[in-house]
Amino acid sequence: MHGDMHGAEVLVVEQWSRREDERLLTGEGRYVADMDVPGCLDAVFVRSDVAHGTLREVDCSAAYEVPGVVGAWSAADLSEMPPCAQSAATLQDLPPVPYVLLAQLSTEEAVAGREWPVLVRDRVRYPGEALVVVLGEDRYRAEDGAAKVTFRIDPLPAVVTPSTAADDSVRLFDGLSNVALRGETGEPIEESVWREAAVVVEARYRQQLLMPTPMECRTILAVPEGDALTVWSGHQAPHRLRRELATLLGGLVERVRVVVPDTGGAFGSKSATFPEFIAVAFLAVKLGRPVRWIEDRLESMTVASRGRGQDQRVRLAADADGRLLAYELNIDADIGAYPHLGVGLPMQTAWMATGPYATPRVHATVRSMVTNTMVTYPYRGAGRPEAAIALERSMDTLARELGMDPAELRRRNFIPPEDFPYETPTGRRYDSGNYAAALDLALETLDYDGWRAERARRRTDPDALPLGIGLSCYVERSGGEPGGLHEFASVEAHEDGTLTARCGTASSGQSHETVFPALVAETLGVDGTLVRLVEGDTGEQPEGVGSFASRSAQVGGAALREAATLLVEEARARAAALWEVPEAEVAWSGGTVHPVHGGHGGHGGAAAMDLAELVKTTGPMRVGGRFESGMAFPFGAHAAVAEVDPELGTVRVLRLVAVDDCGVVLDPAMVHGQAFGSAVQGIGQALYEGIPFGENGVPLLAEGLLDYLLPTFAEIPPIEIRDTRTPSPSTPLGAKGAGESGCIGTPAAIVNAVADALRVADPCLLQMPLTPDVVWRAARAPKFGEVGQAGEFGKTGEFGEAGEFGKAGEFGKAGKFGEAGEAGEAGEGGR
Amino acid sequence: MKPAAFDYVVPRTVREAVGALGTGPGARILAGGQSLILEMRLQRVRPDLVVDINHVAELGHLSADDGTLRVGALVRHAAFEREGAVPGPLGTLFSRAVVNVAHPPIRSRGTLVGSLAWAHPAAEWCALALALDAAIEVHGPGGPREIAARDYFLGPFLTSRAQDELIAAVRFPLLADDTGVGFVEHRRTHFCFAQVAVAATLTASDGVITEARIGLVNCADRPVRAHAAERALIGAEITPPAGHRVPGDHPFARAGRAAAERDAAPLPEPYADVEYRRQAVAVLVGRTLCEAARDRLSRTGTSGGGHR
Repeated sequence: MHGDMHGAEVLVVEQWSRREDERLLTGEGRYVADMDVPGCLDAVFVRSDVAHGTLREVDCSAAYEVPGVVGAWSAADLSEMPPCAQSAATLQDLPPVPYVLLAQLSTEEAVAGREWPVLVRDRVRYPGEALVVVLGEDRYRAEDGAAKVTFRIDPLPAVVTPSTAADDSVRLFDGLSNVALRGETGEPIEESVWREAAVVVEARYRQQLLMPTPMECRTILAVPEGDALTVWSGHQAPHRLRRELATLLGGLVERVRVVVPDTGGAFGSKSATFPEFIAVAFLAVKLGRPVRWIEDRLESMTVASRGRGQDQRVRLAADADGRLLAYELNIDADIGAYPHLGVGLPMQTAWMATGPYATPRVHATVRSMVTNTMVTYPYRGAGRPEAAIALERSMDTLARELGMDPAELRRRNFIPPEDFPYETPTGRRYDSGNYAAALDLALETLDYDGWRAERARRRTDPDALPLGIGLSCYVERSGGEPGGLHEFASVEAHEDGTLTARCGTASSGQSHETVFPALVAETLGVDGTLVRLVEGDTGEQPEGVGSFASRSAQVGGAALREAATLLVEEARARAAALWEVPEAEVAWSGGTVHPVHGGHGGHGGAAAMDLAELVKTTGPMRVGGRFESGMAFPFGAHAAVAEVDPELGTVRVLRLVAVDDCGVVLDPAMVHGQAFGSAVQGIGQALYEGIPFGENGVPLLAEGLLDYLLPTFAEIPPIEIRDTRTPSPSTPLGAKGAGESGCIGTPAAIVNAVADALRVADPCLLQMPLTPDVVWRAARAPKFGEVGQAGEFGKTGEFGEAGEFGKAGEFGKAGKFGEAGEAGEAGEGGR
Repeated sequence: MKPAAFDYVVPRTVREAVGALGTGPGARILAGGQSLILEMRLQRVRPDLVVDINHVAELGHLSADDGTLRVGALVRHAAFEREGAVPGPLGTLFSRAVVNVAHPPIRSRGTLVGSLAWAHPAAEWCALALALDAAIEVHGPGGPREIAARDYFLGPFLTSRAQDELIAAVRFPLLADDTGVGFVEHRRTHFCFAQVAVAATLTASDGVITEARIGLVNCADRPVRAHAAERALIGAEITPPAGHRVPGDHPFARAGRAAAERDAAPLPEPYADVEYRRQAVAVLVGRTLCEAARDRLSRTGTSGGGHR
């Protein structure tokens, strides 16, 4: 690194803000692709170029003629492979992809009859589904071999939106409906409530499919040694991967070790046992050779799991004073081709439908549809952005209908701080909150009144670009669901005075190496540099749950705190035994045990003893276990100011304020860093990210990230991150999850700002991502107030009728943008 | 980078390079590699032979003599970032355009001539070459020849250069000192290709436009010279509108509509159908003309005279 600088000014870093930064920022990080294992084979997958079809033939023979290609196998070829001598006798055929029961992400019922094969056997159900795995002596050889494989697929009609999948005119699984799960929460709301309400807002929102897009795509390296298998993978839940691989390969869990080295981001997308992982591990064991798969960007864009993907219908009713009466949310969710990873994920949206308001009646329904798209799975926010966006967009619309300041409308409806814990009509028990405090801080930080004055000024200046202010108040859930709210951790004291903390979490960039040792050191009262963290290695920490659902600090941190506390107890017990006094006579402070009554008492003047000395005297000391935590409900208020160029439809975010409350903050710099990054991902959903589909259902992504735009440095507006800190009574540290706030709170704030700037009569015209063409069309549509009669405005609801929305859902289709007129017609639906 | 297998040669002279290109239809020239490397990575281009011209010293020259700018095949985009790198208004125009080409690391490798050779419909340099009547110098087995920019672009990634010909340089006429120039690009993020971009030059006499040149980027399957818009401007007053918006009856707005309806032949793209793209062309042409008119004002210090 330094050698490359050629006399350039050398940057002297006085202090790295994170322990991991020196390694990661000087090129010393060690990722799976950096592992140098002699004799390792590289895997490449030959993938379907259609979205839906019947596989007629596959021919791998030509691949074998490429020098350096070790093998190429279709599903049929693998089933004919001879049984493996050194492995368990059960390892015959390639096992299917497992499903995730954790957090009710999937169900036995939904997967019944919908097997997900690792390699396509007869039916292709999503574009890029793997047909053949090729192994080569290096990646180049394997790619050359893959290029020689031929196959024939007879295409079938493809369905890529939930609205088109719903009627079962095209079925993904013969004899089974595309609706793989139905769910609901809350009580159905009587029609009289809507009829008698002073104002009812009706709207439809599309939560577009998103890609998690970590810097490092998925990776796995499987190294067999005897009857043991070591797996290296950038992964969020190594213990689950270990368990599932062991089960699938018919071996013992103890013989599989999973290690997570440096990992370049995950955002939820790296916590499953993916088809490619199974193929790689299977072949490694079958062949007795190390095999790895390093997913490249285009491959990731084709077949890595997606997030979001909901078509929503909402109704929100209020009385004339703006008190919320009822809220209904109907979700048609796109879960991708197989229900294994996310059929139940939309229930997270349903359960969080209540949001931060004391709405007396809330009802949410879910239909999860299989479609010919890659499988949806939790992506940062995982169901909560969809809930927050639907509700918060509707709140701004309601405020306008009522002629009320949107901040005031929210204040009138917040669950007050004294009402916690609060049982929501949709089945959640919120632990703590002070929603008004977060909103007040956001408005103050933004200079709400100043921007309102500027907005008014611009409305009278014909040459000024219109400006809008958008608010979004959210409450989310962190830590996980019942059954997954525990973590395993231990602390070990060494003879040299250092300590090793171990935890079942696995960082993919969340600063665990910095935050967790500091937490343990603080608990013990010792210097932070004495504590080292080991995580993401099932050989070091045999049990664990992992890092997802914003659970690491809240649940893993709590476990480490508990383990450290146990270490103190153990040290006092040992000292008591050593000194032959009751434990109550031994005190702990600053990493040292000492007699409570300093030298007096029955043990003849025993002096204080530090931990190193105690370990030397009494032997190895490692304590820990399984620690249970509680669910928590972080919240916040985001506010955005945006100006719109109505002639081009471009949106410029002038200011974004994100006030997040994640309870007790362990490390403010780390929490702010995560909030910032998450807010940028929220900007991505609001303005840039979307998957366009061709007529044949194949995503139009041939140019990689030029076809799926992420916000870059140039697009990031001034963002101010602030926090309020309302401790969680249900978690040991009082900490709530911090990682997902931005992408939950930010999108609605931005869309609301654009809607406010344009004063568009039908806010449903603004469907994310707010690309220039979408905004330009909305800017030409009738303004709020120009549509006088109630009857006419009622057409807002009609725009949402199934037929029309089907079109909106198709926005991404090639045919759609090919037909210039159609989108324009949709744009005029509010007239 | 996971290309299919290929051979690689490093010629030292134009003659050697042309000779290497003549060895077969699968030979491709590598200059900056801005596009070729990407395509090879995806194996959408699978050359048999890569002819790396980076050691052909005679291709590295940038010169301005006798009213002509000559850009050699190895001159990188970054060379044009400084306004004074090219004399007069042409230097201003190039410096405004070049910052839209990729980002700095890529601009330090990619070349202007490479952009012309690749002929992407969204390439800024291609529209500039067309608008400014550039001449493309190519060398083939039969010796050198020259292609006028108007005869050069045949379609997306398709030009009248033969596969065994090497572009040695491109020549642009320098612009007179009282020429006003503008370049405006519209894209969804800083990272991506232009949805639409426009290059324009304006010259005037006694406050009346005497010549207009307008190049459209990504407004058809190839770069477009907006002849209808140019004609609509001749004889119009060059005074730009006072405010930010161009009123609909302003000559620049009329020219914008002419460009959108008669010159452009936009293709639908995700997030930009034909209707939207025509709107963007009209708006951008109007704004680019405003920029050019204001640029001319700043050069001449007066809206009326200033001509030599």
